[in-house]
Amino acid sequence: MHKVWAIIRREFVERVRTKWFWVSAVLGPVLFAGIIVFQIVQSLGGGARNVAVVDSSTGGLGRRVVEALETSGSFRASLVPAHAGVMDSLRDVVESKRLNGFLIVSNDLVETGRAEYHATSLGMQTIENLQRSLGRLVVKERLEQKGVNPGVVDWAQIRVALDQRKITRTGTVSESAAQSFLMAYLMAILLFMAILLYGVNVMSSVLEEKTTRIIEVLVSSVRPFQLMLGKILGAGSVSFFQFVIWGVSARVLLLLRNPIARALGADPSAVQMTLPHIPAATLAVFVAFFLGGFLLYSAMFAAVGAMSSNEQEARQAQQPVTYLLMISYLSILGLTNDPNSTFARTLSLVPFTTPIATPVRWTAGSMPTWELVASLVILGMAIVGVTWVARIYRVGILMTGKRPNLKELMRWVRA
Amino acid sequence: MPEPVIVDRVTKRFAGHTAVDSLSLSVPSGIIYGLLGPNGAGKTTALRMIMDIYEPDSGSVRLFDTVAGGRDHSERIGYLPEERGLYQKMRVLDVLIFLAEVKGVSRRMARVQALEWLDKLGLSDWRLRKVSDLSKGMQQKVAFISTVLHDPELVILDEPFSGLDPVNSQVMRETVLDYRRRGKTVLFSTHIMEHAEKLCDRLCIIARGKKLIDGSLTEVKRTHGGQHVIVAFDGSQGNAPQIFADRRLVAKIQDFGQQAELELAPGADPQEILKGLVTSGARLARFELASPSLHKIFVDLVGPEAATAAATGGENRA
Repeated sequence: MHKVWAIIRREFVERVRTKWFWVSAVLGPVLFAGIIVFQIVQSLGGGARNVAVVDSSTGGLGRRVVEALETSGSFRASLVPAHAGVMDSLRDVVESKRLNGFLIVSNDLVETGRAEYHATSLGMQTIENLQRSLGRLVVKERLEQKGVNPGVVDWAQIRVALDQRKITRTGTVSESAAQSFLMAYLMAILLFMAILLYGVNVMSSVLEEKTTRIIEVLVSSVRPFQLMLGKILGAGSVSFFQFVIWGVSARVLLLLRNPIARALGADPSAVQMTLPHIPAATLAVFVAFFLGGFLLYSAMFAAVGAMSSNEQEARQAQQPVTYLLMISYLSILGLTNDPNSTFARTLSLVPFTTPIATPVRWTAGSMPTWELVASLVILGMAIVGVTWVARIYRVGILMTGKRPNLKELMRWVRA
Repeated sequence: MPEPVIVDRVTKRFAGHTAVDSLSLSVPSGIIYGLLGPNGAGKTTALRMIMDIYEPDSGSVRLFDTVAGGRDHSERIGYLPEERGLYQKMRVLDVLIFLAEVKGVSRRMARVQALEWLDKLGLSDWRLRKVSDLSKGMQQKVAFISTVLHDPELVILDEPFSGLDPVNSQVMRETVLDYRRRGKTVLFSTHIMEHAEKLCDRLCIIARGKKLIDGSLTEVKRTHGGQHVIVAFDGSQGNAPQIFADRRLVAKIQDFGQQAELELAPGADPQEILKGLVTSGARLARFELASPSLHKIFVDLVGPEAATAAATGGENRA
């Protein structure tokens, strides 16, 4: 055990000493701080769009449109009377970025519900806000034409706020769809990156020992399986350490967000922080599947390192393993859209995709507990199967010369 | 005192060929034991089986009178493989501590010993530098320190002299002799007979995985080789070639031009040859009754092709 511990420590200390570890350790919090600052800046009104309203209607519809846009809070609108050449001059202003876009309204707006919007970028949010404001105005105009009392019209127009609540095992939690989607997505990316980056680390570490032939001294003192285990646990704990650094700094930044907001001159209460609350169960699932997935994949990467004799060969040989990982990564959208589809269920029951698919399903929607257990069992069995991969490792680390073909690999496994 | 190494009829086959074929040897305590053979004879494979790096297909290895192999005794054995690799990006001191820890030495002890050895070999100033900053010779020294750091009872060296310059070669030779003086056991492999002849108490010659002969150096010389004469000329060789060709007198000859090593035919009298050479008009610088050189025995046993290959060839097999 002392020997395995020495290997874990070497692996950990040597990785943490590299500058790349610290680059990514710092990059995470910087990114997070960026998100916070961005949200604060947006709350300062940077979000309001400058829009010109070209009025070619009869009866001052343009003025009422400007009022409606201003009251929505999302726009700063100004009225421009229609005249020849107005389009061209406005287009120049938009191109010079002094205006986000211009809206052309005519009597058509009320009669058939049509208007035109010209802009260099047609953001979804902007279009939605425009449509909502114009829609309300048009409904009001049309009702008034039919003689409905304007007060009644105002009274009738009410905005529905849908309070979204997710049903989970632990009870009903208020959380929006966007939030759980974001959570699941973030989780999947973290898992994918951690498994890939640190799995490849295990591979290059195996390869280093093989090419420098230190392996001979090591294997004469430690069992190959112990060596592989020590290596994987070492690299895994580096990755875990990285997560802890990110987690702690995110926590600290979150605590500091009000001072930051004040420093930037914003009202802290106006700043919306769309940071999802992470339940303990989700965290546990995340950690369990990260550990399992990491163990599974890094063992495969270790075997790849053992059967290659240089970097180029290893880069080629790692591709099948990377593809396995890519499958789950590319399925994230499908998984979050419908966490209970047959597709999603299948992915969470296949050992190679379950490390990413199951945490995503768990976070994105309700997943029956028995399915979670089944996934864990399958992952556990796959890890036991890794001892099988360890045989490839055992034989491979001492081999030199050409890369083995599939038939030879099978013989190693049986040996 | 039990014999530190007993190898009992071990066989190891790799795809298509038998690297070691039913090899048995026993290394008594406190001596220098040479495992000799041409390249590809199976020396490295044999040592690797002793060290538990390879599992024998059949046969067994006993170390220190237990059934366990090298791995379970790693604290008591220092093993230096032929290719002495180190972690290039690690600091010298860290590499040494790590390699000792892996053998089962406590971290604290490893540190003390490593510093002491670095000091002894003049590498103190380099202890916090990366291995890759060191010259090849210095790296060799570090690899050597890692082999002996834990003061092992048994040292196993695979081709210890390959790749060493004359100075380091001398250091290695002295270290090996020093080990024996301190009552430790050294087992080393080599294909260079001169090294073996100067160092070994006992030896074993193998070729194509099979043992050809083993025993103490004097035993081997006595049983193999018979009576030898070394002749060196000083100018004219007279009729020497004709005398050397006389099969009643000379059984075998290794002619080096100005010098020749003769193996006498059974019952031949060396004085006859001397008389013949003098009367034939050869001018002699040296005429010496000698025991055969190990090189001569080696060549006789493994055949001249294998011996030449040993002197020039490189080993490409794992």
